Amino acid sequence: ASSDSGSTSPTAAVSVEAPEPVEVIVKEPPQSTPAVKKEETATAKNVAVEGEEMKTTESVVKFQDARWINGTWDLKQFEKDGKTDWDSVIVAEAKRRKWLEENPETTSNDEPVLFDTSIIPWWAWIKRYHLPEAELLNGRAAMIGFFMAYFVDSLTGVGLVDQMGNFFCKTLLFVAVAGVLFIRKNEDVDKLKNLFDETTLYDKQWQAAWKNDDDESLGSKKK
Amino acid sequence: AARATPKLSNRKLRVAVIGGGPAGGAAAETLAQGGIETILIERKMDNCKPCGGAIPLCMVGEFNLPLDIIDRRVTKMKMISPSNIAVDIGRTLKEHEYIGMVRREVLDAYLRERAEKSGATVINGLFLKMDHPENWDSPYTLHYTEYDGKTGATGTKKTMEVDAVIGADGANSRVAKSIDAGDYDYAIAFQERIRIPDEKMTYYEDLAEMYVGDDVSPDFYGWVFPKCDHVAVGTGTVTHKGDIKKFQLATRNRAKDKILGGKIIRVEAHPIPEHPRPRRLSKRVALVGDAAGYVTKCSGEGIYFAAKSGRMCAEAIVEGSQNGKKMIDEGDLRKYLEKWDKTYLPTYRVLDVLQKVFYRSNPAREAFVEMCNDEYVQKMTFDSYLYKRVAPGSPLEDIKLAVNTIGSLVRANALRREIEKLSV
Repeated sequence: ASSDSGSTSPTAAVSVEAPEPVEVIVKEPPQSTPAVKKEETATAKNVAVEGEEMKTTESVVKFQDARWINGTWDLKQFEKDGKTDWDSVIVAEAKRRKWLEENPETTSNDEPVLFDTSIIPWWAWIKRYHLPEAELLNGRAAMIGFFMAYFVDSLTGVGLVDQMGNFFCKTLLFVAVAGVLFIRKNEDVDKLKNLFDETTLYDKQWQAAWKNDDDESLGSKKK
Repeated sequence: AARATPKLSNRKLRVAVIGGGPAGGAAAETLAQGGIETILIERKMDNCKPCGGAIPLCMVGEFNLPLDIIDRRVTKMKMISPSNIAVDIGRTLKEHEYIGMVRREVLDAYLRERAEKSGATVINGLFLKMDHPENWDSPYTLHYTEYDGKTGATGTKKTMEVDAVIGADGANSRVAKSIDAGDYDYAIAFQERIRIPDEKMTYYEDLAEMYVGDDVSPDFYGWVFPKCDHVAVGTGTVTHKGDIKKFQLATRNRAKDKILGGKIIRVEAHPIPEHPRPRRLSKRVALVGDAAGYVTKCSGEGIYFAAKSGRMCAEAIVEGSQNGKKMIDEGDLRKYLEKWDKTYLPTYRVLDVLQKVFYRSNPAREAFVEMCNDEYVQKMTFDSYLYKRVAPGSPLEDIKLAVNTIGSLVRANALRREIEKLSV
């Protein structure tokens, strides 16, 4: 479903407010490849319109739930045996966010959204998401830790107890723990690599100005 | 310069500035003040470039801007998350601090006028192309069409000889093309100027809104900025340019109640550079402002950086030529590039990381908005925006911030997994 769902006249709204420049841009194919090739489409457009009525989608569908009151979840209704059942709060909020992704709602200063996910205690999140994986991760961390200690000991002769006081070994320990946490599946390695490429791209784009002058006559003359 | 360039006899160094925006205006003023024969070529004197028009506080001081060119002083920003959590930022602002909103036709004209007063020659003309010099010290020949001011006039073709060129002619720079500067990725920004009923306008008196979410833009934000007597509603994207109209409608929808009954008085679209061009200078030609690609990620800010780069480039020329007495070479211009990257690259980098981390998905945006509710974050953000310097934070607060941010991200992503479970 798109944001238009539930609207009374989305098509009319779109066609009425289509001034010149809009057409130009829409004609441009969705660009997946970078680089500015089509200069004409990149040109700034600037058109004065004579007081045209602004249109919005007239959607009336709003998120509704008996437990959603005044912009927050009514925690009283989530009580189970005298305690708040945080699991169902998490599920309810997930449902609300999913709904909003499909039906973005207009903002309102009269009815602000007050619910803050940080009121859900940390153990509720951990209980829900971490426990099933925790066994596996702990097991891995322990095994890696043991063998690393073994190798360091056998290579350097530094015993396990002394290793704890050694900065290098502490760093190694940290790397191991971080590695276990970040690399849970094999795909994660690729994901991390992509992330790294993505973060270094911008730097490369800046460094370009300094690289391509090496092969220039003036650059070499200077040296 | 490593090579000793000769003194010029009987004349001053001649520099042409192509483009009369903030970058060109600032460059021409600095050149003229430095004793250089300066020519500024601008194609349209009353051009109102489609632009957000926000300038940081430090620009007012550094460029000595009169207060009456600032239409509005924004002291409140509202960030609105995909699930409509609204966070007010600006609570930490001191009484005299604000974000200035200007109209580009006013700012640009003012800076050009000042350049003219300092001694620059302003020509209403359209730069066409340039002939590159045969020797390292022979002049560039510029070809341009000069307009005599009469509307509808086709203008007369003219040529001019100069010793150096500053390209301040924006995203579709012809100067950049003529030095084979290469391309950059660009975002398309779309903006509608909407006149809204008076009682609705009072809400936007000193307030700007930023909307984030997959509905308004997959990789940028949607905005409502107050202008002199209307608001500008817009959005931008790099990755899904074809869908820009859909995003614009979504932005209007998110702001709906607050702008209802508005009339669209102007529709604008323009490209925003995403990173610098591969080559920002060649021999005695340098690029500044949008032509070079100096727009920040994340916030999409460019006016200040344009004016600043124009000035910095001009300063390098003034210094290298010893106030117009000597010929310059590429080495002199490289000093501008060196100084620029040293001063501003960290800022660009930080904003790039912020954009990558926080604009990538709805959960990340939720975390971003949550983070912005923190007073320390607001103080640091505004300090670095308004004064363009990175204030040293307190280490304890930094750690707290890191922990909180990770907490926010973890929570938002946990909810995302829950949502995915729902959709299966």
